[in-house]
Amino acid sequence: MLKIALSKGRIFKECLPILAKAHIHPVDDPETSRKLILDTNQADIKLVIIRATDVPTYVEYGAADMGIVGKDTLLEYDSPNLYEPVDLGIARCRLMLAGPKQQALPLCNGLRIATKYVNVTKNYFAQQGLQVEVIKLYGSMELAPLVDLADYIVDVVDTGNTLRANGLEPKQHIANISSRLVVNKAAMKLKNQLVKNFIQQIQA
Amino acid sequence: MSHPSPWLLPEGIHNTLPAQAQTLETLRRQLLDLYRSWGYELVMPPFIEYLDALLIGTGADLELDTFKLIDQLSGRMMGIRADMTPQVARMEAHQLQRAVPTRLCYIGTVLRTQPQGLSRSRSPLQVGAELYGHAGVASDIEILRLLLATLATVHLTDLHIDVGHVAIYRSLLAQAQLNAEQSEILFDIVQRKAQPELQQCLAEWSIAENLRTPLAHLLELNGDVTVLSQARAVLQTAPPAVHQALDELEQVAVATADNIQFDLAELRGYGYHTGLVFNVYVDGYGDAIAQGGRYDDIGKTFGRARPAVGFSTDLKILAAVGQLSTPSQEAKIYAPANDDAKLQQKINQLRQQGRCVIQALSGQNESAQQMGCQQHLSQRQGQWRVMDITL
Repeated sequence: MLKIALSKGRIFKECLPILAKAHIHPVDDPETSRKLILDTNQADIKLVIIRATDVPTYVEYGAADMGIVGKDTLLEYDSPNLYEPVDLGIARCRLMLAGPKQQALPLCNGLRIATKYVNVTKNYFAQQGLQVEVIKLYGSMELAPLVDLADYIVDVVDTGNTLRANGLEPKQHIANISSRLVVNKAAMKLKNQLVKNFIQQIQA
Repeated sequence: MSHPSPWLLPEGIHNTLPAQAQTLETLRRQLLDLYRSWGYELVMPPFIEYLDALLIGTGADLELDTFKLIDQLSGRMMGIRADMTPQVARMEAHQLQRAVPTRLCYIGTVLRTQPQGLSRSRSPLQVGAELYGHAGVASDIEILRLLLATLATVHLTDLHIDVGHVAIYRSLLAQAQLNAEQSEILFDIVQRKAQPELQQCLAEWSIAENLRTPLAHLLELNGDVTVLSQARAVLQTAPPAVHQALDELEQVAVATADNIQFDLAELRGYGYHTGLVFNVYVDGYGDAIAQGGRYDDIGKTFGRARPAVGFSTDLKILAAVGQLSTPSQEAKIYAPANDDAKLQQKINQLRQQGRCVIQALSGQNESAQQMGCQQHLSQRQGQWRVMDITL
């Protein structure tokens, strides 16, 4: 039995061709089905549908053997207890520092930064010798500078349309993001051949 | 904020109630008997000691895991043990000072500031065995066999031992001549087997192609015993230390059971291990249940370098994942509240035979069953006899 954790939406759609390479086809569609564990055409392979930010947790604790998750989530989760053997190259975007087009404050100590990537943001500024106030938000980061909740935001940027529509622009590039295959350490040992075959097939 | 309930324990700290305590104690006795039969002598290191002694030669990981407090008598910093291995090594190097190979074992609660692994425990009941004074692969094999015997005690036979050798990574790393920061980044990458990041960093640092390829291969070198021959091929040009490590691993593969696997990029305990490292995994548990390896340098800091190899595990995890048959509940015997000298004599006799006899307290009205007993003492023709309770 091999359990693969995935999140709904963009990652799931872009994963389908990759799973197909390993001859895995989900039987149900997560957008219409309410099931959280999806059957596939292979009886011993299941897809576990969870929130993207939960994927590393499920895989680290072995509740799923493998998972597919964005590097942004992994950077924030920051655990050495997961294997990250493959960059799947899907769901590409950039993690950026963004701020108002006009009248942006210079980068200095004490800036307020709104983000859901609290650890990544602290580390990024610490590396530049700056200590900032990080305000944890769960969504709609672009709003924060408009209502003076924060001076800047750190968020993933795809086309940049949402930023522009809200009078913001990218200021600094923090990291390139794409989805990774993560593997539970025990699964890598106990199901070595299964996991290795899967990796080989999706990389073919 | 309201005060939390007074019975609430700190995170990762647990009570052990009678049934589990009995299981753990039975297991503890079995293991210590097993170790004694292999010639491993029990030692009891102190629960608390000066921090610098506790942390010598173990690296920064253990420091973060150690609870600290100030000794009001000396003004020095003390630490509560987070791992007994360095304590036992110190006792061996500094106090025992034997010339012959020395076998020691230990069991005790350790405290850790950070919840560990799947159990999220901060107070594992650490049990382990260490063999000092022999540098060859024979002592590695003995320790692995003792570990297997330990796991067989809890009827864990369907398991995988994952074996690596830190000298392989260490030699490749030395060749690449990285600075401290780069080494740290590389270590993090190798721990996560993050092949794409490895490629990117090695390219960025302009590491020569002939050093890049072995490192890239290293991440893929995991699986059954065929990994070793693959390693011979792809690490052909590697330094002699790598080939010596592969020799050792081959000998281990021949000498131990079939459920052995290899992972040449396994770096758990890299900070103080010097040779073979191993972790045990069982189906259905997403984390290693026992670990160990060779650490030849640790005694040096205590004034006497001694080769050393050992393993440790958490008795609570062993009891949880092991296939333990519930200890056959020997029937408890209920005795009435009665001062009859013959009754007292009978009770003493039964207790000496190892039976559990609970005597009622005067005025007690509960039945034998309510007291958890399956048998009772009753007087028949002037004799006290053990009778089954018929429901």
